[in-house]
Amino acid sequence: MSALVFDGVSRWYGDTVALADITFALAPGVTGLLGHNGAGKSTALKLGAGFTRPSAGSVRVLGQDLSASPAAYRRLGIAHDRDALWPFLTARATVALCARLRGARDPEAAAGRALAEVGLAEVADRRVGGFSHGMRQRVKLAQALAHEPELLLLDEPLNGLDPAQRRHIVELIMRLGDEGRTVLVSSHVLHEVERMAPRVLVLVNGHLVASGATPAIRDLIAERPRSIRLRADDARGLGRELIGAGLVESVRFEDGAMVVEAGDVERLGRELPRLARDAGVRLRRMEPVGDDLESVYAYLNERARGVGR
Amino acid sequence: MTAAAPLSRPVYLLALRRLLSGRRFIVLALLALVPAIAATGFAAAGEIEPELFWARLVQRLVIPTVIAFIAVVIGASAVGDEREDGTILYLASTPLPRLTIMASTIAAAWTVTLGLTVPALLLPGLIALGGEADGPLLAWPAAGAALAALCYCAVAAWLAMVVRRPVVIGVLYILLWEGSIATFAASADRFSIAAYGRAVAVEGVIDVNAPGTSAAAAIAILVAVATVATWWAAGRMRRTELP
Repeated sequence: MSALVFDGVSRWYGDTVALADITFALAPGVTGLLGHNGAGKSTALKLGAGFTRPSAGSVRVLGQDLSASPAAYRRLGIAHDRDALWPFLTARATVALCARLRGARDPEAAAGRALAEVGLAEVADRRVGGFSHGMRQRVKLAQALAHEPELLLLDEPLNGLDPAQRRHIVELIMRLGDEGRTVLVSSHVLHEVERMAPRVLVLVNGHLVASGATPAIRDLIAERPRSIRLRADDARGLGRELIGAGLVESVRFEDGAMVVEAGDVERLGRELPRLARDAGVRLRRMEPVGDDLESVYAYLNERARGVGR
Repeated sequence: MTAAAPLSRPVYLLALRRLLSGRRFIVLALLALVPAIAATGFAAAGEIEPELFWARLVQRLVIPTVIAFIAVVIGASAVGDEREDGTILYLASTPLPRLTIMASTIAAAWTVTLGLTVPALLLPGLIALGGEADGPLLAWPAAGAALAALCYCAVAAWLAMVVRRPVVIGVLYILLWEGSIATFAASADRFSIAAYGRAVAVEGVIDVNAPGTSAAAAIAILVAVATVATWWAAGRMRRTELP
């Protein structure tokens, strides 16, 4: 049985659709939940955590409906995106309290273990009120895993961490997955998700536009045509040459620069200098256009629409 | 919802800790000293009957103003701070029945309010009555104040689940409804928590400003309202979208 099942889940707030008809079932191990800000990642995690209810469809957490019975919280760990902790408690007291409330057998020992796992053993007895963002982030993670849950929902757990801490937490999340737990980790950074999640769900504007093995999604994103802006002294001449050589699919002119669309960017990059030299054109500048995540998602979204979604 | 909702000790202790930490508690403790200051002033002047003064102090200042205000602020903060800070998410993601979470939090708010009732009520009582202080003269006002406090705490906790500014709404209720409308439209007393608190208090002191309700009925109403408010707050916690 899958630990988290979304079946035709939609969530809307007034006229705004946060999630539209999402269906998935998580397999054990780590799954990435990828999407830009506002794509519906947090809403999806909130629904999984039982903090809000779907407007349509159903969410089953460990086989149960959390709104009918909170019993499943014993086996569920949640690190939400809000920077919320009781400032007057120490890290140890915070994690032990959460473990106790969720029925851990030895909450103090569980807290000690979890804080050591996230690398906070040395500051465990300090009040979290004085903690840095990265430390708070790790306390939130520790309380999510202290009671050894089967399902973990982690909302952007790497936010605010420095590179060394990121590496450490990525390893920890991978270990949780290897232990057979089901882990859903949200992020807006693809390469981050790539490192820890063999599978990924991609949300764009509330729609699930892609899901599957992370490398396949990576390829899908890499294969999309890219726009490149070129500046050269004889741009028109160069454009003719590029089209003639079959290196680009289209050419247009914008603000005195030439924008070409290429299916195979690597090949374009390899052959462009030689082509320019042969044509006697001086190439001044070459830069990608819209290579940000936003346009990657937009591409996936359009592609998803194209296949009849 | 389970019918029997035992209190949760960790939730109770957490709420207690939150309410006792910070400046708010110190400010409320200072407010709790106002009746004692008034009583000291009276004792020095010595112009009216101590028992009559004590009756007025209980029914015009301690129950309807000092206890009401303290209980509303504490009851609203106990729940409202958890919501505002987002830490309510940790309480919500536990297998505890929501009624247990809410009842434990309200119990902590009531405990803190009772702690402040000692300086707010018993201290001025001892000062005002001096050697004449006896059991019923102190016990009935204390019972009225304690039950009104429970009711205010529970209603304020429910308000904190429903509105953004529960303290403002609570204080407006105390000032406008209980403090103004209910004083000239007697039937408005029926919706006044302080009035039922006074109805209990006057079993032990002279009636200067209490409704006709019997003490037994007033106790039943205060307990019933507190129970319903707790129940509603728990139901609201189950339904509300958490931050």
